[in-house]
Amino acid sequence: MTGQPPATGDRARAAGPPRPWAAGVCDGAHAAGVTDVVYVPDNPLSFILREFEARRRDVRLILATREEEAFGIAAGLYLGGRRPAVMLQSSGLGNSVNALGTLVVPYEIPMLIVVSMRGGETEWNPVQAPMGSAVRPIFDAIGIPHVTAPDAAVSDTVREAGAAAFATRIPHAVLLPRRLTAS
Amino acid sequence: MTRLDATRVIVEACPDAAIVASLGHPAYDLFAAADRPRNFYTWGSMGVASSIGLGIALARPDARVVVLDGDGSLLMNLGSLATVGMLQPPNLTIVVMDNELYATTGGQPTATAAGADLAAAARAMRIEESVTVRTEAELTARLRARLTPRAPAVIVAKVGESHPTVKPPLDYVGIKQRFMAALGCPEC
Repeated sequence: MTGQPPATGDRARAAGPPRPWAAGVCDGAHAAGVTDVVYVPDNPLSFILREFEARRRDVRLILATREEEAFGIAAGLYLGGRRPAVMLQSSGLGNSVNALGTLVVPYEIPMLIVVSMRGGETEWNPVQAPMGSAVRPIFDAIGIPHVTAPDAAVSDTVREAGAAAFATRIPHAVLLPRRLTAS
Repeated sequence: MTRLDATRVIVEACPDAAIVASLGHPAYDLFAAADRPRNFYTWGSMGVASSIGLGIALARPDARVVVLDGDGSLLMNLGSLATVGMLQPPNLTIVVMDNELYATTGGQPTATAAGADLAAAARAMRIEESVTVRTEAELTARLRARLTPRAPAVIVAKVGESHPTVKPPLDYVGIKQRFMAALGCPEC
């Protein structure tokens, strides 16, 4: 028996109309061939998870307790022949760097990475600012290409990043800025 | 029972299993016991071996997956036990080579030396088939009982240090490609 609760939970299911950007992330990941999403949730990501639960039930959603664990599970899924994505908040990238730098990158284990960004001009909680600022330099330092999702055509950006990851065996990240996820 | 003794028991009892080894001494001992294509040696990512094994077990329910973890490593990622307990993959066996030491880094004691009980932690996270073994006979019996598993298990093997003298190659991509081909999902 798998005891995993629904990915979005009652609160997110009740939280208003669908977000077009969230549908775009879901569709783009699906179009890139993603079979499994390993996640540590935050509020914006819950809208993406809701899209998968509503429209892409062939994609398995796997809850991890911590982001480094999520990257380990995703690596194992790839070794077993699946095409994984990891979805996390920018704060959680700090929990993940060793697994990325010593497993995912050197073993060339591809995956789509979707980062819900904190920090920036509209951030209400200043503790989120340092990790928010560190996301791009961290990805640059360990050799993971990244792109910031545009206001429109999010699906294309995500699909291209995922397709590039699985074609090159280098993980690719899409950053979701707050101006997008607040819309 | 040294860690190398326990590793040999596992390789013999589970000849077809995909085996994921935690970095350092557990990986060195697996290489010394048998350099099989279905071995996945990690060279970093301390703590993550059980998570890699979980991912393989979920991807390949037809395959038997064994993780050779360390006590220090599993203590870094105890949340992994909660995830395994939640998902209940029957084909996953996590063997914790518990020497109560950070052996690879110089032999400093871990929390299990002070009595931390990883099998009890696993049972508390709903991995109910979790036990501590101290002899090769006990370990063999536990592994044989899992030939047709119905639930995941954690086997904490109390082991002595075996002082490895050989190491697998630093060929990360080669390790991955050989492993995936042996599992029937080649990359190319």
